[in-house]
Amino acid sequence: MNLSSRKTMTVAALSAALLTAAACGGDSGGAGDGGDGGKVKITFAYWGSDARQKLTEQAIQKFEEKSPTIDVEGDFSNWDSYYEKLATKVAANDAPDVLSIEIRGLSEYAGRGALMDLGGKLPTADLDQQVLSSGQIEGKQYAVPTGVNAFSMLANPAALEKAKKELPDDTSWTWDQWVTLAQEISATGAATGAEYNFNPAWLQIYAAQRGEKFYDGTKIGMSADTIKSWWAIHQKLIETKGSPDAAKSEEIGDTGPEQSLLGTNAGAMGMWWSNQLNALTKSSGQDMTLLRMPKAEGATTSGMFLQPAMFYAASAKTERAAEAGKFIDFLVNDPDAAGILLSDRGLPTNAKVLAAVKDKLPPADQKTLEFIDEVKSELSPIEAPPKGALEMEDILERASEEVVFGRATPDEAAAKFLQEANAAIAG
Amino acid sequence: MSESISVTPERPPSAPPAAPGPPGRRRRTRNVNVHRRREARTAYVFLAPWFIGLFLVTVGPILASLYLSFTDYSLLEEAEWVGWDNYREMFFEDTRFIQSLKVTTIYVVVSVPLQLAFALALALALDRGLRGLSFYRSIYYLPSLLGGSVAIAILWRKIFGTDGLVNALLSIFGIQGPGWVSDPDTALGTLILLHVWTFGAPMVIFLAGLRQIPQSYYEAAAVDGASKLRQFRSITLPLLTPIIFFNLVLEVIKSFQSFTQSFIVSGGSGGPVDSTLFYTLYLYLKGFKSYEMGYAAAMAWVLLLIIAGLTGVNFLASKYWVFYGDSK
Repeated sequence: MNLSSRKTMTVAALSAALLTAAACGGDSGGAGDGGDGGKVKITFAYWGSDARQKLTEQAIQKFEEKSPTIDVEGDFSNWDSYYEKLATKVAANDAPDVLSIEIRGLSEYAGRGALMDLGGKLPTADLDQQVLSSGQIEGKQYAVPTGVNAFSMLANPAALEKAKKELPDDTSWTWDQWVTLAQEISATGAATGAEYNFNPAWLQIYAAQRGEKFYDGTKIGMSADTIKSWWAIHQKLIETKGSPDAAKSEEIGDTGPEQSLLGTNAGAMGMWWSNQLNALTKSSGQDMTLLRMPKAEGATTSGMFLQPAMFYAASAKTERAAEAGKFIDFLVNDPDAAGILLSDRGLPTNAKVLAAVKDKLPPADQKTLEFIDEVKSELSPIEAPPKGALEMEDILERASEEVVFGRATPDEAAAKFLQEANAAIAG
Repeated sequence: MSESISVTPERPPSAPPAAPGPPGRRRRTRNVNVHRRREARTAYVFLAPWFIGLFLVTVGPILASLYLSFTDYSLLEEAEWVGWDNYREMFFEDTRFIQSLKVTTIYVVVSVPLQLAFALALALALDRGLRGLSFYRSIYYLPSLLGGSVAIAILWRKIFGTDGLVNALLSIFGIQGPGWVSDPDTALGTLILLHVWTFGAPMVIFLAGLRQIPQSYYEAAAVDGASKLRQFRSITLPLLTPIIFFNLVLEVIKSFQSFTQSFIVSGGSGGPVDSTLFYTLYLYLKGFKSYEMGYAAAMAWVLLLIIAGLTGVNFLASKYWVFYGDSK
């Protein structure tokens, strides 16, 4: 054998080896073709913290023990890159069999045919039916809620006490009273009265109190007046120093609960999702109180609602529909799963499961449960927002910033918001 | 290399002496041809990984993105041909696109000259035969390595926060500083500062350029009584123009594509009030937040054209101010 052909062979062999290695590396997302010992492999994509990854891996292990023929592969990413990864995988025909999705992305994915109708794939009779219906689009159950959260007012009793203020009567308080209370607390110097946000959940509640819906089909159902008077609350808070100025609030708003005013013991009140109570309690070391949201003058409803923390859904293109259904069934209906996951993906809505794990829940969650029980009769049903809702938070934040930074009048900003928001959900 | 020994008898070891001339010659040329062909084949095999990479990872996607720029493509559904719609929307309807162009242009126009001036000043300072030059060079180069990183962007956010280091320093002098990164008036300024701070790469190139200038020029100038400033203006600057030009082209291209800083500092939104909405950030938001991948692809092509155009203008303008020693 002479050199050139030997060289050629070597190079060819090396290239082949490299290509094989590359191919192996890229294969992890595939549907799998049996793998070891005739097991059926499914992938499960989700986002979250390291803590959630650990819990999820434990739950997957438990599931594999119970269903030895199924091999579940967790595909974990952090929140920031989750949708990029998911969209890219769907585009590449490499979608995970089971995936997590939140309510805002549901219409996007279901509407574009990326999700499977889960109707009949798993029993859902024990789940909270009102919450379950939020996973339906045009009558099809595209997704099953993992658990619920409520957006509510949190107060730090210690801070109130320090400012010599009493907890308000939350069954009847108004936004004006809230702003005044915040101002008074700030004035004592004991703590900053309140922190505001531009969370669409707050605006949704506020609009409901004024008899309007955030989304009305594929249109924004709110009037410009409602949005403007919502911003008036922010403006008044800033003016009266009930909350920090716009720039400082912007800074706080970009961080998580741990760095918030409540979380750092620098503030007295703030609005948060109930699943953030745990983190807030931990970082502040304070026993927070959950309160009903204040009401608009003359409101007949609290506007509050239970929102699924996220949903489990299955890819429309999965070849393992039965296994995917079985896995989701385990996650939402099996006390063993809930015993591991607890409230990490919201409080379980399966009454039986909840009863079984209730005592294992941390105190903050038990408090949330009590609170939800107490306000249950006042809650409004919720439906999945239309396509484009993923952008709503950004659109609202932009318009709101223009108002609080004085870059635009509320009239201009409201018109701009309505135009951009309507365009986003129409398209 | 034991193989090389076995290679040497490539040539016919012993052409049969019985057959004179022609047959042997023919065989020899054929053998040489075979040898050449084999060599070419070897070369292609060696080049194959690069070719595969070029076509699969570069040329293919580039062409695909050109096609996608004329479609409505949500990633989740098949792409749908829409002609020039994306481009039309960009220039005539999308105010955020215009805003992102504005922000990016301000960023480039302000930060690049500042950064180059800074780099040149430091290069001049370091070029004085300082002891421990390599140490200082490394120190000043460090920000360039880190500047585009996520960690620095986060640190930047902390330093320029309402209760950050900068305001703590200012408060010593009784000045109440704003929330630098969270106030729409100052947010872009802090990003420009961050860019200027990464002056290391052009500085190193300037240093190398300064070394190229013959010492004798300065000596001659000194004999003629030229001041330091005069020497800088008449010797250093003209001889350095090719390097300045090189750095300018490079930095303009680089800063037009800045992404990380604005993504991290603004929390991924380009806020507050779109004041840090870089072009690439908006492109990303369109593609992955709004699921308008066709539009994002069109934006990428417009960016390419913008950068190509600017670089072209740069080269054209260079005729009037760049001085190459070997030409007039």
